[in-house]
Amino acid sequence: MKKTVAIAGAGCVLPSGWGVESFWAAANEGRSAITALNTRRFHSERVVAFGQIQDQDHQRSRQDLAQNLQRYCTPAVIWGVSAVRQALDEAGLTGEQPGVRFGLYCCQGGYTHPSLESYAELLHGCRQDGVADMAAFAKRILQDRAQDPFLVLKGLSNCLLGVTSLALKLVGECNAYMQGVAGNLAALREATAALQAGRIDAAIIVGAGSELDTLALSGLVQAGVISANGSDTLLPFDLRGIGGIAGEGAAALVLRRREDLPAGPQTCLADMTAHAILARLSLPDRPTDVLVCSGTGDPHKDRELCQTLARTGASHITSGLAINGILSAAPSLVDLILARGALQAQQVPPIAGLQQPVANLPFVQGAPHPASLAHCLVLNRDDNGFSAAFQLFYSAEVPQD
Amino acid sequence: MSPTRIVITGMGAVTGFGFEWQSMWQKMLAGEHCIRPWQPEGVEASAFPLRYAAPVDMRLMPAHLQDHPAWGLSLEKRTRFGWIAATQAIADGGLSPEQLRGAAVLSASGAPAHRLQDMLLSLPDNPAQAPSWAQLMTRQAQVDPDSSLCQSNDRLARVIADGIGSEGPVINISSACAGASQAIGNAFQMIRRGEVDVAIAGGADSVLSLDTMTALYLLGAASSEQRWGTELCRPFDRHRSGLIAGEGGGFVVLETLERALARGATPYAEVLGFGSSLDAYKVTAPDPEGRGAVLAMQAALTDAGLAPRQVDLINAHGTSTPLNDAAETLAIKTLFTEREHYRRLLVTANKSQFGHLIAAAGAPEFMLTALACRDDRVTPTLNLHDADEQCDLDYCAHQAVKRKVDVALSNSFGFGGLNTSLALGKYREPSR
Repeated sequence: MKKTVAIAGAGCVLPSGWGVESFWAAANEGRSAITALNTRRFHSERVVAFGQIQDQDHQRSRQDLAQNLQRYCTPAVIWGVSAVRQALDEAGLTGEQPGVRFGLYCCQGGYTHPSLESYAELLHGCRQDGVADMAAFAKRILQDRAQDPFLVLKGLSNCLLGVTSLALKLVGECNAYMQGVAGNLAALREATAALQAGRIDAAIIVGAGSELDTLALSGLVQAGVISANGSDTLLPFDLRGIGGIAGEGAAALVLRRREDLPAGPQTCLADMTAHAILARLSLPDRPTDVLVCSGTGDPHKDRELCQTLARTGASHITSGLAINGILSAAPSLVDLILARGALQAQQVPPIAGLQQPVANLPFVQGAPHPASLAHCLVLNRDDNGFSAAFQLFYSAEVPQD
Repeated sequence: MSPTRIVITGMGAVTGFGFEWQSMWQKMLAGEHCIRPWQPEGVEASAFPLRYAAPVDMRLMPAHLQDHPAWGLSLEKRTRFGWIAATQAIADGGLSPEQLRGAAVLSASGAPAHRLQDMLLSLPDNPAQAPSWAQLMTRQAQVDPDSSLCQSNDRLARVIADGIGSEGPVINISSACAGASQAIGNAFQMIRRGEVDVAIAGGADSVLSLDTMTALYLLGAASSEQRWGTELCRPFDRHRSGLIAGEGGGFVVLETLERALARGATPYAEVLGFGSSLDAYKVTAPDPEGRGAVLAMQAALTDAGLAPRQVDLINAHGTSTPLNDAAETLAIKTLFTEREHYRRLLVTANKSQFGHLIAAAGAPEFMLTALACRDDRVTPTLNLHDADEQCDLDYCAHQAVKRKVDVALSNSFGFGGLNTSLALGKYREPSR
């Protein structure tokens, strides 16, 4: 029999603020943290909004990481380490906890490579009539040392893994993924299996990323993930929605075997399923009390998604997408934090801004909805064609595994 | 209940040796290497400090692969290498589309290598004046569709999954130089857990671009020595001075033994265990005492239910960097200390023959380890003329070694301080 695994701690650095409480407060208030896009690299009247980490939250995150390690990091990696520290604090653990074997599973966003801004000055210096002068580039980086020597480390897709392990002195088993929903799913599945097999005693799962990069954003427009129609509001499951808005940030969970946690209510992970075709995703037989599903902000796609949502028999449906924007690296982790919050508070936050639902389903609108909640389903659709469902249950009982 | 046995039934490799594993195996047993003089595009060789690499010669690509519809897609070079290797592995394994429908695809493809010309497009003409969104979209459209700026990191996994029509899990691993090993290790674990019964796993990479090679140089990881010529990659030698980058890809087919036998496949070798660990020492350097490497090898052996004394061969990470080779040797001596078993072990370093394939490195090295188990032959470590006093194991210097290999480990370590080790065993038919 498989051991039950529970969420022992969570942390996040999101546009809604630093920490789970900020996110939960924004969710309950139906308050979007998406703001005017603030970048000096381009101006636009068509892509005007972004879920951006506020400077004070970035500075607070930096306090969680030694100065000498920050030189290796993109901002997203710094947020990731901070999210992990929050999650460990809640779980009552430190990285070097005697007698606790840790596993570390990281997910970076598809665009966590260093911003092209970091190349800007150098590139300008080697442009000749609009074309790259390779010899000039080589001379500048080799003779003038104009390139940051740590750029390759910042560009490493396992930078989050390396820096987190150093910051917390973690030496256990590990993995790093660079994928959205599928990466989160793989990390959660591997972490759960390692706990159930008894190889580790605590699993840290962290995702961090940012798309605040000019060509990355225009690439997302071309891929149809975000809109370029001047929208400043993200409205999932709403007929008034006019497309997606990107966001950035980090989220972390600490998982433990339920039997290793104290008595009292705990949020447990019951099952995880995935399928390349959303409509064929395996869903639980029994109706769920609350369903967390991000949606897209595109009414056509959201209406299509609702066909799958209807199969869940959910009593309440909510989404956190409008709060932080579309996150590349931690979509499932953020939704799991929202789901856990709902189970703990016995209250379902509303979908921010929702006024005209795309389907006749029990979307929570306006104000938080108190309810008796025992089972929760988190359903993630990935624009790369990979979808996943996570089942949670909330119980004071220690299951007899 | 006895644990599920998992075997390797298909292999595909793209390296500087060519576009299939068979010639790679033969050439490596013969002591050949594919390290050549190299210079970045658009830069005089004399102006660039790194002069050698192990590039793939695309002119050697078989015509039947170029005729494949997938070749017409806009793909980065690394993705093309991976796609070819995966296609080859599937053909080698004799798998039909029907048999691949539920297959997991796990790949590692490293960090993206940007084209400078594409990066320039993101910049305003005048640094004081930002471009408009309209200009930016125009420039985005000008980006080379084969550039990493256009493609997400999980493109390789998706291309393979779409190509074989798989509806199974598609996973992109990003753990630097340990990536392909981790992909293979995770595939092994997924099959053992019963999540899938067949997986295509491996990796592909190409860092042979101006900015990535420069970054490797500035980090002090790559060798800029001139005096050894193409014999520059010298794992465990006193005069080793850094890694020599290569490019390519490798994929394997893993499946349950039961399934392999039912469809008449012949396994190359059996996967016995997998372990990973973190150094938590430095981002840019391994723990000099090799503690992380010990943990990874120990975890693989524990996972396999093996004792250190049962191991015959270690396919080392062996990068030819001063730090790695000494630390890895110390790790081996630490773990295999009982009755000085390390003195009886064979250790080999494939990077002396095809360079460091970065994220892909673990895949061809895993295949060569499997072939060593199958054929009882071990590829040599080249250019080891004057062993470092800290490196005092049997590294199969210069010539291939013929010796019985029942159990072997394949090590891969990555920047950032992560370590993996895969345990393999000679395939034995199940007792009736």
